[in-house]
Amino acid sequence: MSILKSLWILAAKDLRIEYRSREAFQTTLFFAVLILIIFQFAFDPGSKATLEASPGILWVALLFPGMIRLNQSFQMEIEEDSLHGIVLSPVDRGAFFLGKFLANWVFLALVGLASTVAFVVFYNFAPSARLWWLLVVELMGLAGFSAVGTVLAAMVAKSSSREVLLPILIFPIVIPVIVAAVNASQEILLRDDLNTLGTWMQVLGVFDVVYLAAGFVVFEYVVGD
Amino acid sequence: MKSAPILQLKGLTKRFGRVAALRRLDLEIHAGEFVALFGPNGAGKSTLLKVAATLLGPDEGKSVFQGGAPMRSAIGYVSHQSLLYGNLSGLENLLFYARLYGLPDPPAQARSMLDRMGLKQAGGQLVRGYSRGMKQRLTLARALLHDPVLLLLDEPYTGLDQHGGRLLTETLSLLKSQGRTVFLVTHNAREGLQLCSRVLIQNAGRIVFDAPREEVSDDDFESIYFQKIEETRPRRKSRGKRAARAGG
Repeated sequence: MSILKSLWILAAKDLRIEYRSREAFQTTLFFAVLILIIFQFAFDPGSKATLEASPGILWVALLFPGMIRLNQSFQMEIEEDSLHGIVLSPVDRGAFFLGKFLANWVFLALVGLASTVAFVVFYNFAPSARLWWLLVVELMGLAGFSAVGTVLAAMVAKSSSREVLLPILIFPIVIPVIVAAVNASQEILLRDDLNTLGTWMQVLGVFDVVYLAAGFVVFEYVVGD
Repeated sequence: MKSAPILQLKGLTKRFGRVAALRRLDLEIHAGEFVALFGPNGAGKSTLLKVAATLLGPDEGKSVFQGGAPMRSAIGYVSHQSLLYGNLSGLENLLFYARLYGLPDPPAQARSMLDRMGLKQAGGQLVRGYSRGMKQRLTLARALLHDPVLLLLDEPYTGLDQHGGRLLTETLSLLKSQGRTVFLVTHNAREGLQLCSRVLIQNAGRIVFDAPREEVSDDDFESIYFQKIEETRPRRKSRGKRAARAGG
């Protein structure tokens, strides 16, 4: 069976389970909106400092709630030990990783889309064509985050302190993605020209490819014995 | 004459920290055998099954399947847990596994298996709403879906009521009559003896009894079992002996 077909079977299963309960989606989105509201209240809404910090606030609202999803993505495999069901099947471990990654990415992208709408409203950004670029940057940033998060969530899935372990492990590794995503978002939201946007998107693209390739290779050992 | 073994376990040792769950264990399973493995809690039965299924790697020794053929997709594995998804229906679970194994016409295969297991009516219900017996039958359906060469069953009777137990025995009897190779780990002596063609007893990480079913009568089994367990019980060295040894 081709890797593409396998990854689609695995991702479709995850998304179907999530669609059925919607538990993680609602919790993650609520957490994201809550972060946006808290920062809105914490800073002076009209100040320049708040405006400058807003791209960073957006990424805090996208990434920290994303932990909920990443943790839950492997809990469904641990609950009834269905991880062993997949491991015993002839599916390539790399396809297993890509399937999980795809489901996590789609999930985080949907939460990101809803959070961005809330962000634009709360922080008084005028709707413009530039916001499409913001969505592209979000998709790229969340891809790198999901790739690393999928591998690490599998590693800590059986640990009782996984909720603490996952953020501690993930954020140091995805720092390049966060820096590039925040800078690209800053350029889109706050600058008149988009001179360095291409550079930041290239950085995001390179790290996405590196993280995905690394995840594809190491996942065999992560879900092995 | 026996056929070439489907599964050869050679000198298996598996330790968890300082505890050895398997100790240089040797075992061969041949095509068409229905092997029942009995033993007390902590004997290493589940560990043996996990190592046989390649879900655990041994510290020493090796497991050879059909002379070295790829094993994982050729076995059906039933463990203490169902390996199913509670938020998917019975049909969706089987469809998922049928697609994962690349079976032709997954919907037809999944429906036919549900029918065989008496779950046709419940196929559309979410698995989290299934009774223990229904879940166990679906677990068996999942394990049989890809027509495995070897079926590994770890305590499949656990938690089943009489009706569920009877249905499971009927299913396993059918598999036996079809000449399937089955390795069953169970505490349930009555059902295990009724089904098996070979009796094994494991204790302290070793196979301590291995005989064809014809040589073990139902009446004798209990006394054989307790005798073997008693004979092979790991004993702590007494203080007196240790002191004598220390003193030379």
